[in-house]
Amino acid sequence: MKSSPLRLILSVLVTCVVAASGLAVTYSITAPRIAAQEKAAEEDALAAVLPQAADFEGVDDATLVAAREAAGDTDVSALYVARDDSGATVGWGLRVASRGYGGPINMVIGLDRNGKVVGLTILAMNETPGLGTRVRTEPWFLEQFKTLPPNFGEADVKKLDMISGATKSSRGVRNSMLAAGRIYEQVLSEKVE
Amino acid sequence: MKEFWSVFKHGISIENPLTVLMIGLCATLAVSTQVEGSLAMSVAVIFVLVMSNVLISAFRKFIPVEVRIPIFIVIIASFVTIVDLFLKAFSPDIYAVLGIWIPLIVVNCIILGRAEAFAYHNTVLLSIADGLGMGLGYTLVIVGMAFIREFFGTGQVKVMGATVLSMPSGYQGPNILLLFPGAFIVFGFIIALMRWLNDRSAARKEA
Repeated sequence: MKSSPLRLILSVLVTCVVAASGLAVTYSITAPRIAAQEKAAEEDALAAVLPQAADFEGVDDATLVAAREAAGDTDVSALYVARDDSGATVGWGLRVASRGYGGPINMVIGLDRNGKVVGLTILAMNETPGLGTRVRTEPWFLEQFKTLPPNFGEADVKKLDMISGATKSSRGVRNSMLAAGRIYEQVLSEKVE
Repeated sequence: MKEFWSVFKHGISIENPLTVLMIGLCATLAVSTQVEGSLAMSVAVIFVLVMSNVLISAFRKFIPVEVRIPIFIVIIASFVTIVDLFLKAFSPDIYAVLGIWIPLIVVNCIILGRAEAFAYHNTVLLSIADGLGMGLGYTLVIVGMAFIREFFGTGQVKVMGATVLSMPSGYQGPNILLLFPGAFIVFGFIIALMRWLNDRSAARKEA
C-alpha cells in the first residue's frame, strides 16, 4: 500500500512538532539547574585551588586573547583574577584543557602573584578509567606540581615524574601546566601591581 | 501473558542484543570499564528502549512505512535528549562518567533495531516486554563485563564511592583488561558462555 505524499509529509511534521515541544519543555525545566550545577562546579574548583581568595572576576578580553596566544595548543576557556577581602590581587585562576588519551582534560589551575602553583584540580576528563584516571586518583601526581618554583619554565616541569602506563594522560596534565607557566610569564607577570 | 514472558525471556537469552544479535557493541566495549557507569548506562538504555518501543508500537498504524525510519529516529533522539538533560541537571557525577556515550544512544543499533524489527509490528504490551527483556539482557552482559574488567583490572569494584569488593593489597591487575583489546577478549568469553547456556537449555527442551 502506497501512502499519499501529503500523508508522508504530515506524519513526519506532526512527529517533529510533538518531539520539539517535548524537548522544549524538558529543556526549560532542566536548563537553570544545569547552569547552576556547572557554575557551582567551577566555583568549587576555583575556591579549592586558590583558598586565600575571597572573590573571582573574569579578566578583560584583551588579556584573555593574549593568554590564549601564550597557551599555544592548550585551550584556555576562562581566566580569573583572584582578590582577597581588601581587593588586592592574590593570584589567578585558569581554566584550561589539554589533550590527553581520550580527549581533553579540563583543569583549573591556581597561581599566586609570583607565578607559583598554589592548587590544581581536574574538572572533567575522558581518560581510561583505572588507568588514565590515575592522574586524579593518585594524589602525589597533581601534588608534585605545587613544588614548582615561582615563574616556573619548561625545564622545571620536565623534571617531574609521569605515571607509567598513563603517559599520554600525564602529558596532557603537564602540557596544561606548561601553558599556565607561559601565560604567567608572558601575560600575567606584567599585571602584578 | 504467556507471550509477554516468552518475549521478555528471549531478550535475555536466545535473542540477547549483545551476545546473540551483536548490535550496539561500540558503547558497550567503551563503557564497560566501571560497574557504576555500566549500571547508569543500562538504566538510560532501558528507559529509551521501553519508551520508544511503547510510542512506536502505539502509533504503528499511523506511521507510513516509507518514512518510518526518520520518524523512529526523531522519537529515539527525543528520549535520549531528555535523558541527557535530566542526567546533566540532577546527576552530574554520573554524567561525567558516561559523557559522550549518552547522546550516542541515539545511534545505538539496539534501539533502532528493536523499533524496526519488533515494535513496528507488535502490540504495546508485547513491545514493553521486548524493551524490558532486551534492556535486561543488555544490562546483564554489560555489568558482568564491567565487573570482570574493573575487578581484575584495578583490583577493586567501586559503586557510589564505596568499595564493594577488593583484591588483597599489592594486587597488580593486567592493564590490558581496561583497554579495548581487553574488552574484546572478555566479550569473546562472555559470548562463549552465553552460547553454552543457550545450547544447554535448548538441548534440555528437546530431551
